[in-house]
Amino acid sequence: MPFYRSIRFRRGRHKAQPFELQLTSMMDVLVIILVFLLKSYSTSTNNFTTLPGMKIPISESPDIPPDSLSVIVTPESVTFESERVLDFVQSAASVGSTEAAYSFKPTDLDEGGRRIVPLYDALVKAREKSELLRTKSKARDAEGKPLPFDGILAIQADKRVHYDTIRRIMYTAATAGFRIFRFLALRKDV
Amino acid sequence: MLKRPSSRRKTKHAELTLNLVPILDAMVTLIAFLLFSMSFLVLVHIESPFPTASTKDLEQKLKEKPLQLTVSLHEKDVEIWSPFERIKPKVIPNQADGTLDLKAFHAALIEVKQKFMPETKVVLVPYATATYDILISVMDSMRVLTPTDPPMFQKNEKTGIDEPLKLLFPEVVYGNLLGSS
Repeated sequence: MPFYRSIRFRRGRHKAQPFELQLTSMMDVLVIILVFLLKSYSTSTNNFTTLPGMKIPISESPDIPPDSLSVIVTPESVTFESERVLDFVQSAASVGSTEAAYSFKPTDLDEGGRRIVPLYDALVKAREKSELLRTKSKARDAEGKPLPFDGILAIQADKRVHYDTIRRIMYTAATAGFRIFRFLALRKDV
Repeated sequence: MLKRPSSRRKTKHAELTLNLVPILDAMVTLIAFLLFSMSFLVLVHIESPFPTASTKDLEQKLKEKPLQLTVSLHEKDVEIWSPFERIKPKVIPNQADGTLDLKAFHAALIEVKQKFMPETKVVLVPYATATYDILISVMDSMRVLTPTDPPMFQKNEKTGIDEPLKLLFPEVVYGNLLGSS
């Protein structure tokens, strides 16, 4: 008679204990992470993006910007709605310096150097598209007319960009029908 | 006859183990969703309209002589003045390291606000090479009231109750958009 069928073998046989993973501590960690994420979750509706390497200034303003068309200005280029519209000419002084040294190409400017031509073209295109969408939209004002073009432009600039550049952008935008500007900055953590 | 011993001590209570696996699954999914959809970059904005001017407005201004508070940024100082001479011009020199003396600037603006409480507009005239960082910090100083500022109250026209001011001069307009300075 084989041993494994004997009563002595059966008596000595131990039942294998099921292995249970201790999940309680892991749950604790996950709950803490979840609470932290929910607390710091931003519910803003905008989808503004920044460019890598861009240094944005910090502001104490409490106003969260609603979604709008945006232009990003760095000492290297101007980007409108994720499309690079112009590149600046870099001068030798900018190499190894913390301050920006750049200039416009003469062909990019008109109206006595006040208006930026490639940006103006892009802004006019965007305005026309927006107006076309508004005429097709069912949303109407009290008189039954399509809602007017809001003309809001968000300006997001690197902290080293000069006012002279921003002034030209504002002037260009105003000539293209954008008359309200929102200067974007990082929120100062209280 | 002996009494039958109690079975209470002998009976082993089955241990109740809560099945945490589905809860864990849900939490991991939720954390992944939050991490993917959350924005770590919180942006704020300062609004400024493009200035409009007409001869009619100018005539009216010449008659009324409003405050038209103007802040001119120069490379070495900041000047607070009124084109209609409603306030005495004040020049705040930069600090020794060349940066703007924002504390003194903010304090000077508070003095103006206390004299002209209903005024909300300010015209900003920066110099051409002023950086965006300077513009934002100057606009913040002109707009935002800090907890250390003296409390200021203004009567609400609708309710007739004095309400604390939340912003100093919230409407910022750029004054030299067409100029070359």
